[in-house]
Amino acid sequence: MKASSSSHRSNPIWRFFSSIHLAVFLLITLAITSIIGTVIPQGESPQFYLEHYRYNFFLILKTLHLNDTYHSWWYMTLLGLFSINLIVCTLRRLPFTLKLYKRDSLSLAPDRLLKMPFKKSWKIERCLDNISIERIISGFKESVGKVREAPDVDGGRLFLAEKGKWSYWGIYALHSSVLVIFVGALVGLFLGFKGSVMLSEGKTIDSIVDRETGVSIPLGFSVRCNHFYISFYDNGAPKEYRSDLTILNGKKEVLHKSIVVNNPLRYRGITFYQASYQAIPEASLRIVSPDGRQTSLDIPAFQTVLWPEARLTFGLMRYEPGNIHGRPAVQVWVENQSGQARAFWLLAGEERELNEGRNSYRVSLVDVNEHYLTGLEVKKDPGVWIVWLGFAILVFGFGVVFWVPHQRIWLWIGHKDGKSLIILSGQSNKNRLRFEKNIKKVEEVLDSSIGVQR
Amino acid sequence: MTFSSSYFLSLTTFIYLGAAILYLTYWVFRLGKVGLLATVVTTAGFIVQTTGIILRWIESYKLGYGHAPLSNLYESLVFFSWVTILVYLIVEWRVRRRVIGAFVTPFASFAMAYASFSPRVEDSIEPLIPALKSNWLIIHVVTCFLGYASFAVACGLGIMFLVKDRSKGDPDGILGALPTCRVLDDLMHQTMIFGFLWLTLGIITGSVWANDAWGTYWSWDPKETWSLITWFIYAAALHARFVRGWTGRRIAYLSILGFVSVIFTYFGVNFLLSGLHSYASP
Ligand code: HEM
Repeated sequence: MKASSSSHRSNPIWRFFSSIHLAVFLLITLAITSIIGTVIPQGESPQFYLEHYRYNFFLILKTLHLNDTYHSWWYMTLLGLFSINLIVCTLRRLPFTLKLYKRDSLSLAPDRLLKMPFKKSWKIERCLDNISIERIISGFKESVGKVREAPDVDGGRLFLAEKGKWSYWGIYALHSSVLVIFVGALVGLFLGFKGSVMLSEGKTIDSIVDRETGVSIPLGFSVRCNHFYISFYDNGAPKEYRSDLTILNGKKEVLHKSIVVNNPLRYRGITFYQASYQAIPEASLRIVSPDGRQTSLDIPAFQTVLWPEARLTFGLMRYEPGNIHGRPAVQVWVENQSGQARAFWLLAGEERELNEGRNSYRVSLVDVNEHYLTGLEVKKDPGVWIVWLGFAILVFGFGVVFWVPHQRIWLWIGHKDGKSLIILSGQSNKNRLRFEKNIKKVEEVLDSSIGVQR
Repeated sequence: MTFSSSYFLSLTTFIYLGAAILYLTYWVFRLGKVGLLATVVTTAGFIVQTTGIILRWIESYKLGYGHAPLSNLYESLVFFSWVTILVYLIVEWRVRRRVIGAFVTPFASFAMAYASFSPRVEDSIEPLIPALKSNWLIIHVVTCFLGYASFAVACGLGIMFLVKDRSKGDPDGILGALPTCRVLDDLMHQTMIFGFLWLTLGIITGSVWANDAWGTYWSWDPKETWSLITWFIYAAALHARFVRGWTGRRIAYLSILGFVSVIFTYFGVNFLLSGLHSYASP
């Protein structure tokens, strides 16, 4: 053990990585370099950077991956060095902590006790009888709690009340939590995915597109958007976006939930978040045939609709919600069987003729319904629980390091130079003020139980 | 509505300015009574401000929005100054050194003055946008701001340290009235630890919230990144103690630098950079 630690100490690489200088240096370096990604927009296309920066800078940007600073090779290297630093530093301290932890405080001689930050001694001319000694001891035990005893230390009896020795491990919890968080982040990076999908009302999907790779990822189940709602405050600011989702396993509906911005849907480790929406118009047309028959036709945007009677295909080209005479208007595109196409505007409430061969139809726009697409973020991150665990350890370690003191209170009863000698001493590695108050109380108790004998 | 929240909050601005002047007077002229008066005025200001914040909360319910007053730049500035005064009063009560007030209350009064008078800061009560509608809002903002406020106090202590450190062997001047470098160093360290704990909790609650709201606990948006930068700086400052040759001076510089970073996290990001947190931008 000893040999290995001294050979460690002479190894320059080990020495380099175990230095707290390096820790401070790395922390400051990380602070400075992290600024870069907040100044340069992240995750844009190469064209974007070419347009916004000079060519030479673009080359630097490409080499150093400044378009994705926090996943770049050099930032990862810094974090790697940081982790190694943390691990080596911890390992190097381990033997010292172990020694501190194993140290036996129940063998300290009276002269050592008198060197503690808090001490008080009583000299008594005559020998104390057993009854008074027992009274002093029980008074001590009552005021400090659990006590251990060594029957013979330098010819006297030594009592020790010790608390919070385990707090030496708090700093290890604190430092290792940082590593646990890193591990969680890496698990998420390699085993998780992030994607998004625009889902129209009534539609079902069973795969999504990965945001980074563009690859389609099967979900293993399907999701249907039943409805999307949007509501506004009186002043027109958006109040809530809500999607009604159903999870289907094959044909079976297994879960139903309304999600809003701060309340996602989770199923089998995959989470669906409300992220955005898009309004899609759907024009309702009425067509009156030459014989007076009426037909209703709904034409959603981005789709074509075939009207079988006249073999005409309709599509929606443009939509103006209310700019023309305060009424909605649509530009409709019509193609006949032989592939001839034409386009015209329809203003709500007005009719127009559509001649096709020998027939003349009268077409009018009844209404335009807005139909919504909900924008969902879809995410899987199996590392997130590891990160939460790291957070918990971090908070716990913090509490222990700063608020759990290691406290020792000794009582020694024996003889020196033919007189009875009683020593009370104590030490605490943090919160000394409170400790001193407590030990003063012990002193008062002893004062009174010794005072009786005088 | 004479006694509306804005009445109380404007009044607070003037009370804190007065308190800052009293603390400075106390420090420069060493008048014990003025020091006591400064504490009384600050405490009174704190009570007025607390009333103002509670009234604003109630008013938001009357308007039908019903949210804690932590939702925009104005409200967060008011809250920042409130927590700074709170942390300062605790420090003053525990260490019984009123001089520190001369270096801390200016931060709080400046924040209030900026909130009240800057045309860039909109002080009307607005409804909450969907992204902020969460119970995490309060806990996240409160933890972060306890951190920021402690760092403001630590920065004040850092400035005191640097001022004092220059004055070697001048016990009678105004610098003699400052606590010794050792006391300042110790206080600064403790305040930074306290702030670091809250900032850590602030970042943690922020991540948990972000995971709930946006789907990732960390997305490197500028505000998040800047809070991490701040965290790195204070972690460095706390470790610097263990480095041989790093005296209180360098730690004092780090404490000031850290607070500059706090301010940037808080304003710079809103005004200069964009991101998910930019809801507070004008
Ligand atoms: C960001 C990551 C880190 C955090 C949050 C952290 C946190 C802390 C804290 C809060 C303390 C206690 C300070 C005090 O008692 O005043 C501490 C002490 C210490 N840290 Fe770190 N630390 C980190 C990284 C590191 C690294 C990379 C090293 C490796 C060189 C390191 C080595 C130490 C050492 C040697 C101590 C002294 C503990 C003692 O003497 O009680 N820390 N750290």
